Amino acid sequence: MKLRHYETLYLLHPDLNDEERQERADKLQKIITDDGGQIVKVDPWPLRKLAYRVQKQTQGWYVCMEYAAPASTIQELTRNMRLDESLMKFVTIKKDDTFDPAVLERAKQEAEAKAAQEAAEAESGETAEESADTANETADAGEDEGKE
Amino acid sequence: MQRPSRPMKRRRVYVRRKVCRFCADKNLVMDYKDADLLRHFITEHGKILPRRITGTCAKHQRKLTTAIKNARIMALIPFTSDHALERRPPRR
Ligand SMILES: [Zn+2]
Repeated sequence: MKLRHYETLYLLHPDLNDEERQERADKLQKIITDDGGQIVKVDPWPLRKLAYRVQKQTQGWYVCMEYAAPASTIQELTRNMRLDESLMKFVTIKKDDTFDPAVLERAKQEAEAKAAQEAAEAESGETAEESADTANETADAGEDEGKE
Repeated sequence: MQRPSRPMKRRRVYVRRKVCRFCADKNLVMDYKDADLLRHFITEHGKILPRRITGTCAKHQRKLTTAIKNARIMALIPFTSDHALERRPPRR
């Protein structure tokens, strides 16, 4: 079946713990792979403030999931997301009508590079924090210039 | 100030012609997830700014409205400032 390139961003209730959030992620990914789709990447965001209240909550867990799937999978995925009350919001966008498998390789490389960078940062943790502070200061100093 | 050589037909000649940010910077990707970017294209009330203010080209403005609407749906940016949890400082 023809695969298309999709991305789904969903928002989970802030009270869900790590395990509960992982359960949701696994379930959605299984729907995709069971249908012959492929996961490109899953990017959980840190707990984030919402722009307006959703189900009386002011913050939530966003997860961005990029994947290749046949068009029919989206219906099944959407149905499942609607059933889950702790999944407060979601949106699915089509990134491309076709799926280029090279995307998978690129995502893999990016993930590896990111992991390597994070490992390096963890090693020199203190120095990284110091340089981040100085970067903030310079950003503040240049704030007022409206024109170029 | 210099007098224009031709007689002026419109009054405001001195408005700086802004260029589309997305055309100018090819690395700038239109992404509904990028709330900080989209904030540049909405008013403090959350309304979409017209092209004549931001200078965005027609093609990118169409993509921009879709991105803003998706971002609103996902509570990344407010629909209106009435519901917003945080009052933002006015745009510069
Ligand atoms: Zn443009």
